[in-house]
Amino acid sequence: MDFSGVISNHYGAFLAGAGMTVTVSVVSIAAGMFLGLWLSFGLISRNRPIRLPSAAYRSFWRGTPILVQLLIIFYLLPEIGLDVPPVAAAMIALTMNTAAFQAEIFRGGLLSIRPGQVEAARMLGIGMPAIRVRILIPQMMRLVLPALVNETISILKNSSLISVIAVTELMRTSQQVVSVTYRPLEAYTVAALIYLAMNLVLARAGAWFERRYAAAR
Amino acid sequence: MEHKPVVLVEGLHKRFGAAHVLRGIDLAVESSRVVCVIGPSGSGKSTLLRCMAFLDRYDEGRVFIEGRLLGYREVDGRRVPDSDRNIDSVRSVIGMVFQHYNLWPHKTALGNVTEALRVVKRLSRREAEAIGMETLAKVGMEEKANAYPARLSGGQQQRNAIARALAMRPHVMYFDEPTSALDPELVGEVLEVMQELAGEGMTMVVVTHEMGFAAHVADEVVFMDEGEVIERGSPDDVFKRPRSERLREFLDTWRARTI
Amino acid sequence: MSFDIDIMFRYGPLLLSGLWTTVHVCALASLLAVAAGLGVSVLYGLPMRPVKLLCRAYIEVMRGTPILTLLFILYYGGPSFGLTLDAELVGIIGLGLYGGGYFAEIFRAGFESIPAGQLEAARMLGIPRRLVVARIQIPQMLTLIIPPSTNQVIILVKESALLSIITVAELTKNTTQMVNETFAVVEPYVAVALLYWLLIEGIALTGGALERRFGYAS
Ligand SMILES: Nc1ncnc2c1ncn2[C@@H]1O[C@H](COP(=O)(O)OP(=O)(O)OP(=O)(O)O)[C@@H](O)[C@H]1O
Ligand SMILES: [Mg+2]
Repeated sequence: MDFSGVISNHYGAFLAGAGMTVTVSVVSIAAGMFLGLWLSFGLISRNRPIRLPSAAYRSFWRGTPILVQLLIIFYLLPEIGLDVPPVAAAMIALTMNTAAFQAEIFRGGLLSIRPGQVEAARMLGIGMPAIRVRILIPQMMRLVLPALVNETISILKNSSLISVIAVTELMRTSQQVVSVTYRPLEAYTVAALIYLAMNLVLARAGAWFERRYAAAR
Repeated sequence: MEHKPVVLVEGLHKRFGAAHVLRGIDLAVESSRVVCVIGPSGSGKSTLLRCMAFLDRYDEGRVFIEGRLLGYREVDGRRVPDSDRNIDSVRSVIGMVFQHYNLWPHKTALGNVTEALRVVKRLSRREAEAIGMETLAKVGMEEKANAYPARLSGGQQQRNAIARALAMRPHVMYFDEPTSALDPELVGEVLEVMQELAGEGMTMVVVTHEMGFAAHVADEVVFMDEGEVIERGSPDDVFKRPRSERLREFLDTWRARTI
Repeated sequence: MSFDIDIMFRYGPLLLSGLWTTVHVCALASLLAVAAGLGVSVLYGLPMRPVKLLCRAYIEVMRGTPILTLLFILYYGGPSFGLTLDAELVGIIGLGLYGGGYFAEIFRAGFESIPAGQLEAARMLGIPRRLVVARIQIPQMLTLIIPPSTNQVIILVKESALLSIITVAELTKNTTQMVNETFAVVEPYVAVALLYWLLIEGIALTGGALERRFGYAS
């Protein structure tokens, strides 16, 4: 085994790959949060024409493998005349995927807020958009923070499979290192350790935030 | 000038599926008067109050707030649901206090009071906080302005909720059993605030199990059972000279329980 | 975009054989995952610090790294330590070990939900540890663990699509083969999404039925 050789000759590439992994994940989580918030209000809407399509969206994006979703986005977008580079296709697929999972998380949080709070706001004349932004979402975010950290970890891990559409993130970087060093065990283990380190940091940060919010209450 | 009660309820009916919960309620609340609604559990008191605020939509009859129809518009003699904007506008003169306070737990006592001043009345932070502190002082809560609801006692939370409604300068206040979620020793501080409000001439509709409060403060007491008004009158009439068997029974049970 | 029903008939058998591979690989991997998870969670409960630490490390590594790296380490890195396995077997072992990390947490939460007093009562009656697990702890845990376990099997099925990358001829692999041979993209991807969706809904329904059968309101 030759870990030191693999690391010392290629640590720049690994770092760049990890940077790409983080970028794609952060963008997808953030965009997915925006979409997921809308979707979660759609899921609890009393209006059928809003609720049913929201549920159908959730069903597809939670009920099929993310690899299949990625391939569909990558190959079907050109079919309808949209040519997007692989990185963009990757971000779109991960965003649409995490939006469905985050919507479900948010829905659970919203349902645990007592309806009386909304009634009190309505009686004061506060409109629904302001109720969502100022009353429901801030409370819900605290409730769902642990689940959100798990979802972020899950997206970070799932971002590894965008290597199949030639996005040079951490996984693909390690494949490239293998192709020049012929050291698969070492290169893939290094990649695994980097993923592990990133996720442990995320989990710790999540626990820290949770404690902080718990103290503020 | 034509005389209009602050709240006028005519022939109100409400059904939840097959359950006919309100069966033709009439009620007029004149300015500066306090109307207390009493009755056994499940008689429809909360539902009446919620329909009078259009938190629940009523099926038949009409609710007027200062002469304006609440919840519906009449088009060619037929009525259609009103827009959220108009509903908000009609009920902007109503302040409501709930049994379970319904404070927003992520905002401080002051934040709960200033929220609507900021987003509905669009006051600046300074103006809103000035009004907020003044209103909190009125309910004896100025020292707790920066505390979150979870750190307040039930009585403090309910006074906070009263301040939240009062800060919007309502013309009428609805209370739905404001003290029944409180420990007995905390009931007094909330009733005191309410009595003071009544003394200042606030128009109030109070659903309550506190017969003592009703007897002392109400101008009119309304006794409901099974979705109907069975008796109404001055506190003396209702408490000392009940005419119907059902009211007599209700008062007997209540007396037996308090002794 | 148009939908060519004809190539669906021609390639139907290929997709169905892929589906069958997906199903049996996932079934075996799930069994392995449940066994590994149960074993690790029981070991975790033993009062031995080094064992506990090892279990913790296993759980954290499985939950903190992508399944794809694990598959690559086993499949491409395996020969470096004298382990040359057939791709399908790598898939089963990889998915099984990976899922084991999640099942271990599910079982651990289940075990921890049972009041210590019950175990002390069983010990005082002289019931062997093995039987305490099988007859007292697991039956009570079912209500708690069936829903997340169902969910975990669903996740495993979705992860199994990655086996296509290490050349296992499962559903996704056969779909990409169909794409390569026909140059059609709409039909294969609509079909594959539908097949996965049906498989997963089926598992969810089964899980719901198990929940009703074995769960009890407590
Ligand atoms: N949202 C609802 N859906 C169905 N039935 C309801 C609903 N709200 C109230 N009811 C029913 O309407 C009837 C009247 O309820 P309401 O809450 O108005 O009674 P109440 O007089 O306020 O009783 P309490 O003194 O216990 O508060 C009850 O039978 C209740 O079960
Ligand atoms: Mg009530």
